[in-house]
Amino acid sequence: MTAKMRVEGLSAWYGSKRALEDITMDIEEKTVTAIIGPSGCGKSTLIRAMNRMHEIVPKARVEGQVLLDGEDIYERDPVSVRRKVGMIFQRANPFPTMSIYDNVAAGLRLNGMRDRKELDGRVMRSLKQAALWDEVEDSLGKGGSSLSGGQQQRLCIARALAVEPEVILMDEPCSALDPIATAKIEDLIFDLKKDYTVVIVTHNMQQAARVAYHTAFLYLGKLIEFNRTRELFERPREELTEKYITGRFG
Amino acid sequence: MPEKAERKALAQGLARLKENMVTLAELSELAIRKAVDSLSRSDAEVAREVFTLDQELYALQEEIESNCVDLIALHAPVARDLRAITTSLKITTDLDRIGRYAKDIAEIALQFRGQTPPGLKDIVKIPRMADLTIDMVDRAVQAFVNRDAESVRNVMEVDDAVDNLHDEVFQEVVEHMRDGNLPIEAGARYILVNRHLERIADHAVNIGERVVYMVTGDRLPRVRAADRAKAKKRSP
Repeated sequence: MTAKMRVEGLSAWYGSKRALEDITMDIEEKTVTAIIGPSGCGKSTLIRAMNRMHEIVPKARVEGQVLLDGEDIYERDPVSVRRKVGMIFQRANPFPTMSIYDNVAAGLRLNGMRDRKELDGRVMRSLKQAALWDEVEDSLGKGGSSLSGGQQQRLCIARALAVEPEVILMDEPCSALDPIATAKIEDLIFDLKKDYTVVIVTHNMQQAARVAYHTAFLYLGKLIEFNRTRELFERPREELTEKYITGRFG
Repeated sequence: MPEKAERKALAQGLARLKENMVTLAELSELAIRKAVDSLSRSDAEVAREVFTLDQELYALQEEIESNCVDLIALHAPVARDLRAITTSLKITTDLDRIGRYAKDIAEIALQFRGQTPPGLKDIVKIPRMADLTIDMVDRAVQAFVNRDAESVRNVMEVDDAVDNLHDEVFQEVVEHMRDGNLPIEAGARYILVNRHLERIADHAVNIGERVVYMVTGDRLPRVRAADRAKAKKRSP
């Protein structure tokens, strides 16, 4: 496998509380990797450490390495890292006062793109990639927050795609969505993996089973098992994984 | 673990499935025992009991299939639970087939119309064949009931013994028919019984292999008997 990202000996702290312990795993290029585990196991911390968002929290720090194409992201400018490694959050968070168009164009403008034609092209392409174009092409001037929850989440995906990242991190992107909107996002993830490397944190094990090629199971900040998703759900190697995925914790 | 969960509805469904499977397995084992018994004692009453058992097996198999579909549809089972359900679905077919062969043997028993089948005790090794086969089914069934993969890992080797005995009995029957020690009609029936027993043993092998998968997640590779014999010679 070609590793797009490699997490190596990664530990993370919030003040004196250790949230991740010595995690090592490879993220295969142009596939979907799911991270599962109970609340507080460190899933979100892990992906936040993968685009240098963890350190934004006061007193938070990391040890170890996160390599993107072999280069440690902690030795690079965080802004350039986040351009290459985008993040989608649990709650869709479009810029509330901006139009749909401006939401998608925001990152591009921030990067200095001014040419209207170029912006138009990139906005359209991103909205198409996010499977939202058909629903909004006649209302690009409307506010982003006028959209439904599922549409808002796809708008955020379009916004992330606009700056042409290579890796997309998703932190429970469907947890606030109904089954239809969830299915749309899952279909979108299926298409995105042709061009992007996707890492998704999810509470929904069936979602991990449906969308991911590899799955990592985290527990109390440790990586318990990292395996092909099919293997992990059919014959997990670790007893702890077995107990978690069959819902027999205790 | 901080959270405590048991998934009671799933656990209850799985327990019911296991119960039904154990009944199905025991009924099909009983069906062969009775079928062989009806033949060796030429007992029409026992033969008819086998027909009833076969009907019960069929009905129970249908119920189990619907148990399994419900569990999959409602609980999205994974890992050990998923393997228990898919294995049950596969094994029911084997157990049902075993019941059908038992019924076929019972039908042959009836064809002797109360006459003691000639030569069955002294000249033909069918009782030995039946013992071996029943023993294989029993081991496979016990392995399933006790979730014990180890006891059936060598089930293929026992099956080799059954296959060899099948060939022997066939030769034996042909020779006795040729020499005039055995009426042709009876001999022809024995050849069928012999064949049914051999097929039952094959189903026991299937069950054994699936129990190994259910318990460990390993799929046993299919090795041809000839290759197994060669391997045995190499490492005695």
